[in-house]
Amino acid sequence: MTAATLAHDAHGDVDQLYIETRELRLQGFLLFLISDCVLFSSFIFAYLYMRNSGQGWPPPGIHRLDVPFAAWNSVVLFGSGATMHYALENFKHGHWMRYMIFLLATIVLGAGFLAGQGYEYTHLIYGEHVTWAGSGIFGASFFTLTGMHGLHVFIGVCYLTVLVLQSSAGVYTRGKYFGITAGTLYWHFVDVIWVVLFSIFYLI
Amino acid sequence: MNGAIVERFGAVVAGIVVAVVSFYSLYKDWHAVGVENNVFKLMLFLLGVGAILAILAGLNVIGFTAS
Repeated sequence: MTAATLAHDAHGDVDQLYIETRELRLQGFLLFLISDCVLFSSFIFAYLYMRNSGQGWPPPGIHRLDVPFAAWNSVVLFGSGATMHYALENFKHGHWMRYMIFLLATIVLGAGFLAGQGYEYTHLIYGEHVTWAGSGIFGASFFTLTGMHGLHVFIGVCYLTVLVLQSSAGVYTRGKYFGITAGTLYWHFVDVIWVVLFSIFYLI
Repeated sequence: MNGAIVERFGAVVAGIVVAVVSFYSLYKDWHAVGVENNVFKLMLFLLGVGAILAILAGLNVIGFTAS
């Protein structure tokens, strides 16, 4: 048996292993998302409990949040969810260039959302003097929850950038692309969490 | 033009695009089977709901500034 044949066999074993463990990978990743969901839920319910225990919301002395800007920034993030979905669909159908365009668009929109959040934080901290530690429950809950979500978006942007590099290096094939599926699931999760945060901080 | 009006207009227009894309993708994938596809369908539905909320906030129907 030649070295080339051995390498081919080893590669074949890896592919077989990949196929056999694909469902397990998916289940493992979904469990990770569920655990992250529990983490967010605990913070969200703590925020709602404290909010309903107080004397009106937002507390006296704090202006209401900028809803038009938040709506626009939310749409930027939701749009990135749509582009990520189409990136995965195009990869599945073998349209590599379209996949890369949609993936890059997702990264740009995700970075745009983070820039918008940075602008809002700057406005709140320096314009309204609302801080994490110095503005009571409102500041603590707002900055903790949106900051934790922003950290998830930042990690997602980094992950998608790695996906671009890996895809350019030919790591993923039409039969072996769990990394892209996981990235899409994670990005949708981040979007869905923002639907909840947007509703509880800006709409109700 | 007031900055808030531009933001509201952007939120409504882009929100309509995102909502249409989300629900169309959901419609297209409706018969797809498997855990992965079912999770995607749930996520697309919630994405569409989020886009509708952003549209309504942009139209000043819901949100703190609603009259």
